Formats: sequence, structure tokens, C-alpha cells
Amino acid sequence: MSKITTKKIAIYGKGGIGKSTTTSNISAALVEAGYKVMQFGCDPKSDSTNTLRNGEYIPSVLELMRENRRVDAHQAIFRGFGGVYCVEAGGPQPGVGCAGRGIISAVQLLKQQGIFEELELDYVIFDVLGDVVCGGFAVPIREGIADHVFTVSSADFMAIYAANNLFRGILSYSNSGGALLGGVIANSINTPFHREILDDFVHRTKTQIMEYIPRSLTVTQAELQGKTTIEAAPQSAQAAIYRRLATRIAAHTESTIPSPLSSSELRIWSSGWAAQLIESERALLSKEAETVEAAYGN
Amino acid sequence: MAINLKSSIVENREQRLGTIIRWEGSAAQLVQDSAFTYGGQVDCGCTGKRLCEENSPFTQASMCAECITATQAILVQGAALIQHSPIGCASSQAFTCRYYRDLSVQRGWKVEDPHSLCTNLTEDDMVFGGVAKLERTIRDAWTRHHPKVIFIATSCATGIIGDDVDSVAQRLEKELGVKVIPLFCEGFRAKHWSTGWDVIEHGILRQLVNKNPGKKQEDLINVIHLGGPDVFTPLLSQLGLRINLVMGGNDLDKLSALSEASATVTMCSVLSYLAAGLEREYGVPEVKATLPYGIQATDEWLREIARITHREDRVEAVIASEHAKLEAPLKKVRKALAGKKGFVAAGAAFAHGLMADLRELGVEVDGAYSFHHDPTYDSNDPRMDMLAYVVNKYGDIPNYTVSNDQQFQAYAALQRSKPDFTLSRHGGNMALLTARLGIPTVPIFYSNDGLGYQGLLTIGNSVLRVLPRKTFLDDIAAHSSFPYKQWWLDQTDPYALTKLMEREVDADPVCQ
Repeated sequence: MSKITTKKIAIYGKGGIGKSTTTSNISAALVEAGYKVMQFGCDPKSDSTNTLRNGEYIPSVLELMRENRRVDAHQAIFRGFGGVYCVEAGGPQPGVGCAGRGIISAVQLLKQQGIFEELELDYVIFDVLGDVVCGGFAVPIREGIADHVFTVSSADFMAIYAANNLFRGILSYSNSGGALLGGVIANSINTPFHREILDDFVHRTKTQIMEYIPRSLTVTQAELQGKTTIEAAPQSAQAAIYRRLATRIAAHTESTIPSPLSSSELRIWSSGWAAQLIESERALLSKEAETVEAAYGN
Repeated sequence: MAINLKSSIVENREQRLGTIIRWEGSAAQLVQDSAFTYGGQVDCGCTGKRLCEENSPFTQASMCAECITATQAILVQGAALIQHSPIGCASSQAFTCRYYRDLSVQRGWKVEDPHSLCTNLTEDDMVFGGVAKLERTIRDAWTRHHPKVIFIATSCATGIIGDDVDSVAQRLEKELGVKVIPLFCEGFRAKHWSTGWDVIEHGILRQLVNKNPGKKQEDLINVIHLGGPDVFTPLLSQLGLRINLVMGGNDLDKLSALSEASATVTMCSVLSYLAAGLEREYGVPEVKATLPYGIQATDEWLREIARITHREDRVEAVIASEHAKLEAPLKKVRKALAGKKGFVAAGAAFAHGLMADLRELGVEVDGAYSFHHDPTYDSNDPRMDMLAYVVNKYGDIPNYTVSNDQQFQAYAALQRSKPDFTLSRHGGNMALLTARLGIPTVPIFYSNDGLGYQGLLTIGNSVLRVLPRKTFLDDIAAHSSFPYKQWWLDQTDPYALTKLMEREVDADPVCQ
């Protein structure tokens, strides 16, 4: 029986927002700091852990369950950068079956076989596809799977909608022992304006920003090599940001119940910001136009 | 990590035990392949091969784990059952109602209808989630019946949409102050219905067994059985043991006391998850011996119980006196059955027991039909391999069919064996089939009939009672027809269709 208390974390966010990139860098930074970490990809694409394993795909739990009569969960666990344990839940091909049920089956298999306790992990990080669209995708925030939930979001409104939906999911499970919200990881933040939008969102929904991560070419270059930024560019400024984020997540203990905006509140809130956005873009454009006029004269 | 009580969901049989539902060959081969593949059982030497499961292109009938779980839950006295499912799953309740009332009469309980409710999930609930309806139904169950325990049986539908049944159960358990036990018995999770036993036994282990047993009751022995009258007290009371008879109808006190007993014995090893769990979680030793079918097996079973419960000084006298009681009537039954051929159709370990009984009675058994096969059990102890025992003691059964009760396959197996009579469990299907083939049958519902020394006489006399019906059944057969083509009517191999299919398409057996 494990003496160590495993801290279980789930990271959600809209598709394509940089969840797997962020999660893998957090995992890499935590193993670098000497922790025992498992990254559990909950996405049918099964590519959450690629950058921890030089761009390599690993067989998913559901693939093993389909091919074998009996599955020893150890067969689904692979080691990656710095000894990090990598697991991919896997799932059906696009357009068939039920990906949500896939997550339930895969997580159950590891849970039933007592893997999380057996490996004496310090951290299990679930990297969960997209939004809490159905019961299956809510599994990691239900009791006993994750303790803390973080969401990756850019200042893009669609990403914020997805984060707000996640908050609703957390709220509905919060009185039955489900995981609570740790905070928002602000991704692709390159202007103060982006920052303001997200700051306002977390203020209204009573949560916090864990870190502001700028969009960076270093990340793209590292990913093209099949590596995390921590591995490929350990000395870069971007790596330092990921390390700071990992340290904050490691130190984080108290999660809270968020106050998601209702659909209409969200609409009013985003249109308010959209008006400002248009205003500032317009100002920018007319300034450009003036510059152009000045340059050509008449 | 086969038994993990931290998870509310039981690991299914295929995963834990390698259970299969389709196989054809000799019993000796099945024993060898099972041992070769899973070890732990009898020493297979080096001649075994991987256990492979046949394919089948066609299914004529089956059963569901949910039905087993729901039935066993409702048989707990004072319970209310909620089937969290579309209403179709509740069609099984017509059967369980009859079962419960019948059992109530046998056990001297108040005769009433069982307290069964269904959340009646519809399209809307599938889309928007059924948890709110479940909560309402739990409250309804409480207001209407004030049950001592509320079971929730999940369904395929709720499994797919991922309804968070655990949380509702935990919350309402606290609020109502009554045990609320979720049973995750989605039919799709296992190919064989016997998984339903594991699910209910898992729920009992997690929530109904007394977790702080304190002082053990030295003279109490748990007997886990499929159901039926207590044939154990007459035998085991001679050793100074009291019986805590569970499954197939219990009350909560008995289930709570499971952890206080000095040992657990399971009468059909298919149900041995509970015994293995009691040993692992509560230190109650499981009696690991062959099932008490036939004289020698019963002797050994009694000796093992005596050893575990420290009653070795008394056991030989009990065995001697039982042998003496049995001798004369057994001689008579054996004589009456001389030259007869029997056929057994039942579920795995229970089938093995009935085969031992018939062989012990001197009846020829060259064919048998088992509803599934467990290559090992949760204890992984070779002494519990009853099929190996039967083969070693009484000789091979050349035609041993594993089939999840597919009537067309049973038809072929019976054509091949041409028995004088059959012993069958789940009598509905088999009794009708055998009658239409002109074969007398003993349908066994309460499954303790063949157990122990007296069981030999009970089974022998039941067979003698049905044999004279031959003329009547021949008449029925003469007026019966089957919906099969002539080609199938001529088959004597239950897997002939599979073999034909293997030639035509790629449908090799699945090896473990």
C-alpha cells in the first residue's frame, strides 16, 4: 500500500488551445524537479504524451483492451522524458462509437488494478480533450479521480466558453465530492489586452490565473523535434515560465468552487469585450491609415 | 489486484478469470488448456496449449448480468431495488416476483411482492442525464417502502452516458441513513451473465459486511450457495458448526455476519468471488476443496472444513456414520440406474458437480453442456478445479460443450449423446428442448439437490422419477418439429456452423 498521497490533477480546455503542450511541459518540469509523475492522455487522438517520448505514439489502453482478452494495465504504461509515466486512454475513430465511454473504461481499468497506488506517484495529470461534453468526459472531475482541475484558455472567446462550461461541470459535481477548480492557465497571451480579458473572466467567475504563457516560437521548434520545451530548450525563457507554472501547481493546495457565468451573462460579457476589441482595432486601423496617408502625402 | 474494494465497479470475469463462453472438445483437454493458460490449477504437464474460444455466427438466446444482479439484490430481505434503466430491463421483474414469493414461503418470510422500482429512462434522460430521476426514485423507494437497504442496478444506457450513480448513492445514503448500494452491472461489460454474481458480491463486500467484526464466531461457517433449501445444517451441525447461509435470498444480519465467521465455503465456485474477498479483506479463510459431489469429494470437503475450523477429532466419525447411512439406499439407486446414460446441462462448476454425482451413481456420461467456463477462480487454487477432479477420478467426458445456452447447439449435443435423461439448470430452455426430443429431464431450479452424501440419493431418485415418462415424451417428440433446416437437423457437432464459417470467412478462434 502506498504511503505517498498522490496529487491528482485534471487539465481541460478547448481543442487546439495548447493543452497537451502545456500539460507535457508541466509533467516534464515536475519530473525534472524530482517527482514521480504520470501523464494520462484522455483524447481519442492518443497524442497527449508524444512530446514526452520524442514524438512517438504509444499503444492506448483501449487498443490493448480491444486486442487482448485480458489486459494487464502495466502494458499500457510507458516511460518518457526523465522517467515520466505515459498512458493514453485512446478511443474510437472519429464518428464512431463513444469516446466518453472509452474514458470511463480506460480510467476504470487502471483504477481497478490499483496502478496509481502501486507506482507510488506524486502526481497523476489527466490531459482531457476539449469540453465537459458528456458524462464520460466528466469522469476525471468526479470523486476519487482528480483532486484539482485546471483549465487552459487563451483570450479567444470560444476558449473562454469552453472554460466556463468546465466550471459548470465542476459546480454540478462539487457537492458530491468531485474535484474543485485550481485555476486558469492563460495561454497564447501576447498583449496586455488578452491579459485583461482573462483577468476579468477569472475575477467574475471567482477563480485565479495560474500563469500567463506567451505564444512562443521556441515551443513550436521543440514540438517539431517531438520534444517538450523543457527538454529541447531547457535554458529558454519559455522553459522558465513552464517551470514556474509547475512549481505553482505543485504548491497549490486549496481549490475552490467556481461561479460560472450563465449563457446570457456570458453573451453580454463577451459582447462588451467585443465592442472594446472592435474599438481598439478600429483605432489601430485608422492610425495605420493616417500613417499611410502621411507617407504618401497629397 | 483482482479484488479491489476501493472501486465501486467490479473487474469483470473475462479480465479476472479468463472466462469463455464457447468451446468444444473433451473435458480433459479443457482442463489441460485451462491449466496451461492460467496455471494455478492442476499440473498440466507440458502438453497443454493456449485456451482458445470458438467463434459463433449466430445467437439464439441469452441472459444478462443485470438480470442476475437485480434478482440477487431483490432477494435480500427488506431491500428495495431500483433499476436505473429503460423500462425494458424491468421485464425480468415478473420472474423475480415469482422467485421472491416462492422463496418467502420456503424461508418462512412474509409473502409479499418484492420492492422493485425502475427509473424508466427515456430519450430525454439519455440526452440530458438520468441522475435527477434516479435521485427522485431513491426518495420514492424510501417513502413508499422504508427499506433496510436500497440497491441501484445500473444499465447499458446509464453506463454509456456515464451517469454519476456513485455520488447520488453516497449523498442519499448520508441523508436517509440507510445503505444505498450502487451495482454496476451494465450488460455490455461482460459476455457472460455470471458476472452479475460478481457485481452483487462486490456490493455486499463493500457495503454490507460488518467492517469491524471484533471477535470471530468460532462455530459459524459461511455457506455461499446459488439458492434453495438448507441441506448443509444436517451434515455440518454434526461437526458443531452453525450455518450462515447467504446468496439466493439472505437477510442483512447474515450478510453483516460474513466477516465474523471462522470459514467460508462456496457451493458453486462460480460464486467464489465473495469467499475470496472475505479471505483477503477480513481474514475469513476460504475452504479450498473440491465441491461435495460424490462420496470421495464430500469426504475431502468435510475434512478440509474440519481442518480449517479445528474439528479434525470429530470428522472421521461423521464421515463413517454418513457412509453407513448411505450404503444400502445408494446400492438400490445404483442398481436401478444401471446401464443408463445421462447428460448434464448447467453452469460451469455446478455442471461439474452434477457430472460427478451421475458418475458416482454408475451412470454413463459421455456428453455435457456448460453455460460458460472459468479456467481459474479468484483463489487460483488447484484444489477448487472440479472439472479436473471429475476427469481424474471418473475418466474423461469426450464431448464437452461450452455454450451460453444456445438452444441450436444443445440440440446437436443431445443428438450426439442420445442420453436416456438429462439434468438441467435454467430448465426453461433445456426442459422444453429435451421434451421435444423425447428425453426425460430433471430441471433443477434450487441447486442444492445434488450436494453431499444425501444429494446422491436426491439426484438418483429424481432421475428414477422422470425415467418412466419416456413413453409420454416419445409422444410429444412425435408431434414436435424444429425450425432448423435438414442440414442442421443432421448435425451432431454443436460447433458445426462455426467450422463451416471458418472455411468461408476469416473467423478463427480467439486465443488467450
